Amino acid sequence: MENLRVFKGVDHGKQFEIEVDGERVVAFEGESVAAALVASGKRVFNHSPKRKEKRSMYCGIGLCYGCLMVIDGVPNTRSCQTLAKPGMRVEIQHGLQKEEVEN
Amino acid sequence: LKEPQLIVIGSGPGGMAAAIEAARVGVKTLILDENPKPGGRIYWQFNEGFKIKDEKVLGPDYPRGIELLNEVEKHSANIEYLDNAVVLGFFDNRVFIYQRGDEGLTLRYDKLVVATGAYDRPVAFPGWTLPGVFTAGGAQTLVKMQRVLPGKKVLFAGTGPLQLVVANQVIAAGGDVVAVLEAGDIEQWFKLVKGFWRNWDYLKDGWNYLKGIRKAGVELMRKHLIVEVRGDDCVEEALIAEVDDEWRPKKGALRSLKVDAVCIGYGLIPSVEITRQIGCKQNYEPKVGGWIPVRGKNMETSVPGVYAVGDGAGVAGSAVANLEGRIAGIAAASSLGSIGAKEVEKRLKPFRDKLERITRLREVLDEISMPRPGLYELATDSTVICRCEEITLGEIKQIVRDGVEDINEIKRLTRMGMGRCQGRMCAPLVQEVIARMIGIPPAEVGYLNQRPPVKPVPLAVLASLPGEVEMRHGW
Repeated sequence: MENLRVFKGVDHGKQFEIEVDGERVVAFEGESVAAALVASGKRVFNHSPKRKEKRSMYCGIGLCYGCLMVIDGVPNTRSCQTLAKPGMRVEIQHGLQKEEVEN
Repeated sequence: LKEPQLIVIGSGPGGMAAAIEAARVGVKTLILDENPKPGGRIYWQFNEGFKIKDEKVLGPDYPRGIELLNEVEKHSANIEYLDNAVVLGFFDNRVFIYQRGDEGLTLRYDKLVVATGAYDRPVAFPGWTLPGVFTAGGAQTLVKMQRVLPGKKVLFAGTGPLQLVVANQVIAAGGDVVAVLEAGDIEQWFKLVKGFWRNWDYLKDGWNYLKGIRKAGVELMRKHLIVEVRGDDCVEEALIAEVDDEWRPKKGALRSLKVDAVCIGYGLIPSVEITRQIGCKQNYEPKVGGWIPVRGKNMETSVPGVYAVGDGAGVAGSAVANLEGRIAGIAAASSLGSIGAKEVEKRLKPFRDKLERITRLREVLDEISMPRPGLYELATDSTVICRCEEITLGEIKQIVRDGVEDINEIKRLTRMGMGRCQGRMCAPLVQEVIARMIGIPPAEVGYLNQRPPVKPVPLAVLASLPGEVEMRHGW
């Protein structure tokens, strides 16, 4: 499994698992959901509402809203500003919610 | 603190320095920051969980941050720090609202220091919305605060010092940096900074960052930019080109680099949402990032008692933010009567002198790093400009061709700037598009009207606000 974590000089916190679209993904205490995903090689966080384009974390500081995911059932949650917690359920967002809705 | 005499928004170097100088003379000071830990972006502290084994891997800014945090701690009798506090909006009668957790709260202020920092300049080019395209600052949050590399093969493109800092951090963390593209003419830097060796402290970091890149065997390609990024799920390839002095790609073949992450760092844009909401007069100063509040020499804005410091009042880095913060803190304390008239000048002088010295050097560096026209010509008609509402450059251009030249009117007609980022990403780009199309300076395009909330907020939080607030005239 891909692991982009850096262990030089700084210990990561306690290791646990989160669930991303049903798949188990490793995360460490102190990591944001976005960081845990990037570290595991998961890049697509959501599909945009109109053009259905793949999107992901861009600004990393909670301003661009590119990293939105459904986290523990709540859509439009910024994964870069949300700390990963053991057992957290993360879902790739489609449009403005979990599933695409025709409007 | 029930009744703070001074409120500081933002706990980066500017905000902390202001709080320190005011608290030093007994001013009861409240700092609000939206993050869980103080420090701002440059002096960010690790989340609970991470444990530092070897401070040296964290670079020169880490100990500087600790030093400043310790200084805040020394005055903790007079400083209260409110974490996770997102300031949402300013209303009449010097009242603002903020969110903490699920709760909406209000505060009254008399003296206010706004130290909101800056964010990476969004640059649109084909492929810029693909996963794997990060801002340099975004990549920095990953490697510095989360200890995660942005990718296996990382390409940097931009101008000025920030991307050099981040590239060094990725290299130091063991990442594979494919190349660093500097759009400007880096050799000019050395010519122009001659005569500024009195600022060696300040220049030393930059010199070390260049050295770090060279030592790692990473190619620093001057006068190059990324013109396009391609990939399916994620970035797979970046097309790069050599550019002329106006940053326009020279005729000839594009080069393709196989990478899975690109970090884009063409400077920063000041976060002026708050000073603008308060009604502080703004000027357009492209050399320091764009719109900034007009300030007097004590950092006071056009609204009496409201001070603006650091990158949010013109991008100039942490050393300047610290000095400006100290000046604002002293000035605010003096206006509260906590420092006598004679004492004030004595306290201000060393900070003012140092600030003046750095500012002269900064002006030279800003000149070289200012984005040139070619940077705004990379997007094609099908490139998305407004990432939230997915409005393309072609749609914006059509509206302008139809005769609509007012940026707020374009917003109403296209929905650009109405999405969740509230125009932070697209407005600076659309401003350039309009300016170019109708042939006026970007300053004359104006800016999107600024209204609360500063950040998107759940309705439940607004519903929980105690009492009522008065809307400002003109909204």
